[in-house]
Amino acid sequence: MVEGPAVEIEYLRKRYGGFEALAGVALTVPRGTVFGLLGPNGAGKSTLVKSLLTIVRPTECRGRMLGRPIGDRATLRDVGYLPEHARFPDHLTGRQVIGFSAGLAGVPAGETRTRTAALLERVGMKDWGDRKLGTYSKGMRQRIGLAQALVNEPAIVFLDEPTDGVDPEGRIDIRQMIERLRDEGRTVFVNSHLLGEVEQVADEVAILAKGRVIESGSVEKLTRRGRRYEIRTVGPVPPVRRAGLEREGLAVAGDTVSMDAADALPLQPVIDLLRASGVAIREIREARDTLEEIFLKAVQGKEAA
Amino acid sequence: MRAFVTILVDSIRLLRARALFWVSLGISAFVALLYLSIGFDEKGMSLLFGAFDLEIPLLAKGSAGVELLYLGIFRNFIVSWWLTWIAIVIALVSCAPIFPEFMLEGSAGVALSKPVSRPKLFACKFVGALLFIAVQALLFAVIVFIAIRWRVGTWNPSVFWSVPVVVLVFSYLFSVLVLLGVKTRSVMASVLLTLVLWFFCFIAQSGEAVAHSAAQGNSITGGRLSEEERARWEKVHQWARLPYLMLPKPGETTALLDRWIVLDGGGKLGESTFDAMKRDGRIEGLDDEMKEDLERHSPSWIIGSSLAFEAVVLGLACLMFSRRDF
Repeated sequence: MVEGPAVEIEYLRKRYGGFEALAGVALTVPRGTVFGLLGPNGAGKSTLVKSLLTIVRPTECRGRMLGRPIGDRATLRDVGYLPEHARFPDHLTGRQVIGFSAGLAGVPAGETRTRTAALLERVGMKDWGDRKLGTYSKGMRQRIGLAQALVNEPAIVFLDEPTDGVDPEGRIDIRQMIERLRDEGRTVFVNSHLLGEVEQVADEVAILAKGRVIESGSVEKLTRRGRRYEIRTVGPVPPVRRAGLEREGLAVAGDTVSMDAADALPLQPVIDLLRASGVAIREIREARDTLEEIFLKAVQGKEAA
Repeated sequence: MRAFVTILVDSIRLLRARALFWVSLGISAFVALLYLSIGFDEKGMSLLFGAFDLEIPLLAKGSAGVELLYLGIFRNFIVSWWLTWIAIVIALVSCAPIFPEFMLEGSAGVALSKPVSRPKLFACKFVGALLFIAVQALLFAVIVFIAIRWRVGTWNPSVFWSVPVVVLVFSYLFSVLVLLGVKTRSVMASVLLTLVLWFFCFIAQSGEAVAHSAAQGNSITGGRLSEEERARWEKVHQWARLPYLMLPKPGETTALLDRWIVLDGGGKLGESTFDAMKRDGRIEGLDDEMKEDLERHSPSWIIGSSLAFEAVVLGLACLMFSRRDF
């Protein structure tokens, strides 16, 4: 097995006439991780994925995927892809869609039958495999789309908005499937605008805005940046005490006092002060920025810049 | 190979899913049955499995004209009208969405993200679409093959030439349809423009033939033109030849069946028709010169020049398909 990152983009640029969809992106996707690519609509997320998969021809591209240069067709034998708004013909059955994908990926016919049966079971479509897609709901189509992306047992799977149109129960299933893929040692590259979902499943993320990566790193590292403590009191903080706390640089809103801190030590004098003032403390908790907050800060910061 | 088989199987599934394919196949079977229903007995000819009897001693069972007439009906009505006009129009309409639909967002991605090159994908899709017309032509040929044995008493495998000929004619036009489909992604525009081109092919071929006849002063003009007029027609012919050379030749390709379908005695269908008409004196002025005029282009030239056009058009379409972002 080839070592090194699953995807290593040194430089990726894509222009559509006068419009620059990707303005020199660089990012690394470690092997065996779930990688989330986030960004507002039109940020270039799908263009980036399509460039890696040769669906879009990049204007300029340097980098490697699974140890081979990006654009090398042989690499695609080990790649799975679920496109955004995937359209599979209504006249095909779920089993046939998976079979079509397997055939193009060069999976032998006998192997295809075995894998198809296993995948239908895995995506919860065992009883629907021989029915036509015209009779499926959006969520069922998405499950079949996921199955066809896995039929060649890929080393890396690209999922573009995998939970699009899927009900809450289905989303949980898809999230569990993604986690299982990671447990199997595969790399999962997820494009999504549903930040909460990505946060639950991704190890690493990159935020893309206007064709540039404006933030990237592990979810742990990014969310640690906004680490703070919140003290909630019984009733609002008295105005006199509030003014004093604000002078010290703490944020007070109603019954909540917030303090940016890496650990709980700097919090102790504040607790003492509140208690000395006769303010009863209801709750103390450690808080972090959610991925959504980080995303908004990054995108707004980029726009302001 | 696995990818080719996969796309071919996918094309068959697509055909089966199209209502027009079954309608077209149903009508094909009906027309073939009508053909089968033509019979010959001691008194002459019968239609609709004996429902109507026509007393024509010339067409009595065992007479020389029976095979010629029976094959002539196949060539001049079934192949000329149904297979190379109506069935091809239906096939063009049915196959027109193949490339535009394939190129829709969310549809192309799955296939293009596989380790199959775009030109190969393009070629497989194209060949798959040819199945639409090949299946119909083959069904026809099989029924006709059986019908000839039943009605005339001979096995005539040369009727199977109609299958590649019809597929060839369809492929000339379908290549244009594909180019327009890849360029415009519009089904309606590509069908209409292909039909317009087909009409131009007909005009170019007819124009060249008329100009050639006039310039040669053969039977069509009865040699009545003066030298000056013939020289003028010669110039017209030189100009008329240009579009004719460049465009495919669907009409002439179909007419090759006259040369390739042979009768039991080994004579060509076309020559036998001429001979019979000359014998009966039914066409005034028909002579060897006219026959030569109609056969002045060799099959390899007719097919070769048409395939050259098709290759250029397909090459262009393939290039556009290969360079496009989806």
